Amino acid sequence: MQKIKDLFKKTWFLGCLVIIFATSVLWNIPIEKRKYGLSESSLVTDYTGLLPERVVRVVKAADRQELQKIAKQANESGQRISVAGLQHSQGGHTYYKDGVVLDMRTYNRILEINELQKTVRVEAGATWEDVQDAILPYGLALKVTQSQSIFTIGGSLSVNGHGRDIRFGPMAGTVKEMTLLTPTGEIKRLTSRGDSEEWMKYVLGGYGLFGVILDVTLELTDNDIYTIHTEKLKTEEYESYFNNLMKDDNAAMHYARVSVAPSSFLDEMYVIDYNHTGKQDRSTSLKGEQGVRLSKLALDLGRHGGGMEDLFWRAQKKYIASIDKKEITRNNAMRSESTFMEFTKPGRVEVLQEYFVPVHSYEEYIKDLKKLLSADDKNDDFKVHNITVRYAAKDNLTSLNYAKEDMLGLVVLIQHGLKEKEIAEATAIIRDWTDLTLKYDGTYYLPYYRYQTKEQFKASYPDWEKFRTEKLKRDSNEVFQNLFYDHYIK
Amino acid sequence: MSYKQYIPLVVTVGQVAIFPYYIIWLKGVSLTFSLFAWFFAAFSFSAAWGYQMYQSKKDKNNIHISFIYIGMGIVYIITGFIKTTFENLPYIVLLLQIILGVLQGYFRAWHSGQKAYYLQVVHHYLIVGFMMIGLSFVKVISPAVFIAVFGFLLCGCGFLSLVKKTS
Repeated sequence: MQKIKDLFKKTWFLGCLVIIFATSVLWNIPIEKRKYGLSESSLVTDYTGLLPERVVRVVKAADRQELQKIAKQANESGQRISVAGLQHSQGGHTYYKDGVVLDMRTYNRILEINELQKTVRVEAGATWEDVQDAILPYGLALKVTQSQSIFTIGGSLSVNGHGRDIRFGPMAGTVKEMTLLTPTGEIKRLTSRGDSEEWMKYVLGGYGLFGVILDVTLELTDNDIYTIHTEKLKTEEYESYFNNLMKDDNAAMHYARVSVAPSSFLDEMYVIDYNHTGKQDRSTSLKGEQGVRLSKLALDLGRHGGGMEDLFWRAQKKYIASIDKKEITRNNAMRSESTFMEFTKPGRVEVLQEYFVPVHSYEEYIKDLKKLLSADDKNDDFKVHNITVRYAAKDNLTSLNYAKEDMLGLVVLIQHGLKEKEIAEATAIIRDWTDLTLKYDGTYYLPYYRYQTKEQFKASYPDWEKFRTEKLKRDSNEVFQNLFYDHYIK
Repeated sequence: MSYKQYIPLVVTVGQVAIFPYYIIWLKGVSLTFSLFAWFFAAFSFSAAWGYQMYQSKKDKNNIHISFIYIGMGIVYIITGFIKTTFENLPYIVLLLQIILGVLQGYFRAWHSGQKAYYLQVVHHYLIVGFMMIGLSFVKVISPAVFIAVFGFLLCGCGFLSLVKKTS
């Protein structure tokens, strides 16, 4: 005891105590989450918070009879309904002015896992993480999901999301069966083979405008173990690299990153492939968020642009080189970290945009893009922080399809200010970027904030009129509405 | 009473009077209660360190207390001029808490050794009591304004004691 007392009288000991404590606090300072979400008392927003709106009621989904009752009543009374999951869609897809919002997050049970047929039946409000948790002990994994597992099943299917898998096509293709609550309040059981009324074509990638997905049966595959292969490339080498990769049966998943650092702007890339090892896994647990603080620190440095962005790119390359030849399970490859991307700075916003271009146009497209964007955006308001490249296979299954042929999708993380002038500038750049994409027979993704004009939407999605006709045919009272529908389609 | 007696009184009265505003500000920048508590823990550990630093000093007459005042003043000024919350603020606040803790511990150790300490303690409690009643009628502009004003006052005290000492 005396020794402890003596120790506390030492200046060096107290100094050490402060340093150790401060370091542990530094490490544990929480990463602030964006404040957004559903609320009856104040304005509703989605993840970006750019479109605040008042709604009359938020209903936590509990059972299908209640949901059916709400839909029937709305159909008779003219009430509008929107469907919300985790609200990561950024263009007001999940709410509507003075409408009722169905909060599906509570409708999240795993209903059945069929190990033999490799399927899972799950309610639409469950997240991909919930599904991964349930199927992991069976040695099973999802065929297609986004690279992060934080989204709800219903939300992802409503935007027909895509991820790193290069073999199983669009996410819509992995839906075997579906239970749908139609706008007239009818509950329909749909199967992918027996869907003569083409409900699935409009519900999948239908942005919640054709009814409520209640549950789905998804096709699964084995939880394979992959070896990671990483490589640094010049942008002009990527197209042939990718074409060769597609011919290699050993390759299962793939994505790439393009440099947005000033010194190698759109010149350098690195690729990350997941190759079959022939082994499968039943025991490796799902990985949690790893290295979030370091990743966030690095991204925050990159957010400053200029030399800092060069430093960030070098750090990324080092990290990517360090995971080369490592093994990972399929389930873990499908659940990347997301918390490190949190950004909360008053007066500024970070948004995503995604552009799709045919695989064969990639090289020319990037060359033209280089002329459009500023290589060093340190002093610009409009900043590009990250571009990830992913493959989106040709999609014949959905109406508003973004991949009319095999495409490469460029997922772009953008930051800009919120003053009128700054938003106008960002809109102008994004519209120019969209025009360039259209020039190469490409398109842009619809779950994000709607900077694009209606003309650009029509050019990107030529089937939009058919989509609208079908919407009005199946939902003649326009019960299911959201701000996206209002803006582009109505 | 000379400046040597007044300045410590201003510092101790000011610290107590400004404390409620500082707490409001700190609460605003803390993301969670745990973090709020950790900020205080960091302050306390640092104050113990500062206190011990003074006590272990061999030549207690050769103390540049003016710089301690100026240091504390700068911390309060920075606090007062941080306009709004931003992502990296908790990291800066932690650093400020540590600096403030060390300086306050050091000041307290020095102060308790002064001849007028006993009288100053009594006076400071009385003044603070009356001041707080007065302040309760003032509509809060913003805690940051009061904190910054106190920062400038401390810097003024520091420079005054420096000038007097030199002259």
